[in-house]
Amino acid sequence: MNYLQRLIQEVRIVLLVMLLLNNILLFGVWYVAAEVLNLRFEPIVAVLLFASIILNFLLAWGIGAVVNQPIRLLWRNILHVSPFEGGEVAVGKLTTIWLGKDLVAALTNQVHQLAMVADTVAQTSASALPDLHKNFVANSLPLPMIVLDKNGNIAFANTAALKYFERYESDFVGHSLQHKLSMVFSQADQDFDSWLQDAQNSSATATKTWESVNVTRGEGQTPLQFDLAAFYNKDNPEGAETLLVCFDHSEKYAQEDQEVGFVALAVHELRTPVTMLRGYLEALDEELDGKLDAETMDFFNKMKASSQQLTIFLNNILNIARIEGNQLDVQLQEAVWSNIVGSAIDSMRLRAQVHGLSIVTDIPADLPTVGADPFSITEVLTNVIDNAIKYSSGKGEKIVIRSYQKDGMVETTVEDSGVGIPESVIPTLFNKFQRNFHNKASISGTGIGLYLSKVIVNLHGGNIWVSSKEGNGTTVGFTLNTYASLSDGQVPGDKAITHHSQGWIKNHSMSRR
Amino acid sequence: MQPDTQTPQPQAARKILVAEDEQFIGELYLRALTRAGYDPTVEIDGAKALELAKSDQFDIILLDLMLPNMTGMEILERLRADAPQLHGKVIIATNLEQTNEKRAAIEQHADGYIIKANVTPKELVGFLQNVA
Repeated sequence: MNYLQRLIQEVRIVLLVMLLLNNILLFGVWYVAAEVLNLRFEPIVAVLLFASIILNFLLAWGIGAVVNQPIRLLWRNILHVSPFEGGEVAVGKLTTIWLGKDLVAALTNQVHQLAMVADTVAQTSASALPDLHKNFVANSLPLPMIVLDKNGNIAFANTAALKYFERYESDFVGHSLQHKLSMVFSQADQDFDSWLQDAQNSSATATKTWESVNVTRGEGQTPLQFDLAAFYNKDNPEGAETLLVCFDHSEKYAQEDQEVGFVALAVHELRTPVTMLRGYLEALDEELDGKLDAETMDFFNKMKASSQQLTIFLNNILNIARIEGNQLDVQLQEAVWSNIVGSAIDSMRLRAQVHGLSIVTDIPADLPTVGADPFSITEVLTNVIDNAIKYSSGKGEKIVIRSYQKDGMVETTVEDSGVGIPESVIPTLFNKFQRNFHNKASISGTGIGLYLSKVIVNLHGGNIWVSSKEGNGTTVGFTLNTYASLSDGQVPGDKAITHHSQGWIKNHSMSRR
Repeated sequence: MQPDTQTPQPQAARKILVAEDEQFIGELYLRALTRAGYDPTVEIDGAKALELAKSDQFDIILLDLMLPNMTGMEILERLRADAPQLHGKVIIATNLEQTNEKRAAIEQHADGYIIKANVTPKELVGFLQNVA
């Protein structure tokens, strides 16, 4: 403020001095004109007028220049630090002005300081803003949330996550996710690590959700069970490449596990009468051998075939329940494929016969042994054959099973000449509970056979597919690894147990422990 | 028409113990095993079955898992503990699917395993042909 007053005074002084100077000069001009040159009155006035104009002109210009100096300098200094035109206007020098040096210096200083503060604030808020968000918003969120960096290490875990997984921040953040949290995924689903790898290799962004992910806790504690949602964002500017959010359902899934147990119990209960049904049908068959006419025999065979189908269906239900509960065990071992196909056909032959169909095979004798779990791969075969029977269109048709080597795998196709599957249905054929609707009222089943087959074939490391044309039959194909390609340590060389398609038997009595 | 399961070859009267608490299933197996030339004995009670098994007079012991007074698992474990030199083969025949943990124990202690509902009595006999 003092500077301002000083400037005002300086300006007044300058004005005063200039005006006085002006008047003195004018007086000087008159003196010269009147006394020295002895001009008369009119010429004196003319000269005076002329001089006055010139002098006033000079005065105005001079005063203007001097008084404007401080403003001009201030203007330059402010523009210099302006964020919009900054740097393009050079800083002015104090030495170029005569008036208000202090004021301009002080104001310039203030402006520069303001500019610096503005810069600092902008910078810190740019970096603090995400941190602010992370720390405030994220930590208030009741959902466990984890952020991973490019290397799969935990960059951030919000309060809810630390609490949920029972970790301290120091023990969690900065470590690899895999290391700290062993998440167990459903067997039917891609796991997190392989999804993340896929995403890193091929996408800019990716999202995926998983249901019923397990994380074990300490001894005696039930595992954590939650749904997981993951968001991948390559080149995220803050390095927050992957975001995971967990939706806890431990209670709900614990209950569902009990339901799995319920399914197993129900299936067990149902199997008892099925065992008896099949057993007495067989016994009756033996007793009545030769004593029945063709029509009664036919009834009989249909009963037997139906009871076999019951068995298949119960096995399917149980296997689905096990898949949901991550309990489906596939034990790969060396198997002679033609034997497995043979016994699967044996169990289905009666059913095919009842429908007027025959099953033929085309399997070369020199087909290499496969790496397969006889139990479950037989389920695949019976389900696929069962489908072929279901969708046949009439008597006399053949179901052809072919196996051959292809691309280092053993490929098998089951081909029928039945009603075929409409193209619109094919993409969803392997989904759970997908049912293929047809005109035939006799189609039964709830569409779990193919879903189950897909899961089992995938667990074997193979692929399964369908090709069909409506009205022109269907071919279901799947691949299996040869035993040779698996036996580099992956397949347990447990030769002590021989798996048959109905059960297993140990080979040596010495293997008992 | 008979399903084409092979005709079981006559066994040299091999003795087989069937530990099964469902009466009708026991009868079915008794019938099929006798026709195939075995010498079968059916026992409903778990504790009694264990005693019979320990007597070591049987070539094959067909063991159900759900038995009164003692479960099949218990019988299996006690048998291995009390009669380690048993010459008979123990085959678990059940309708109850196992959890992974139980399955490991069965694989360790039993000589075979089969789901009853998956086979007819004749098919069971055929399966037992493979037991050495």
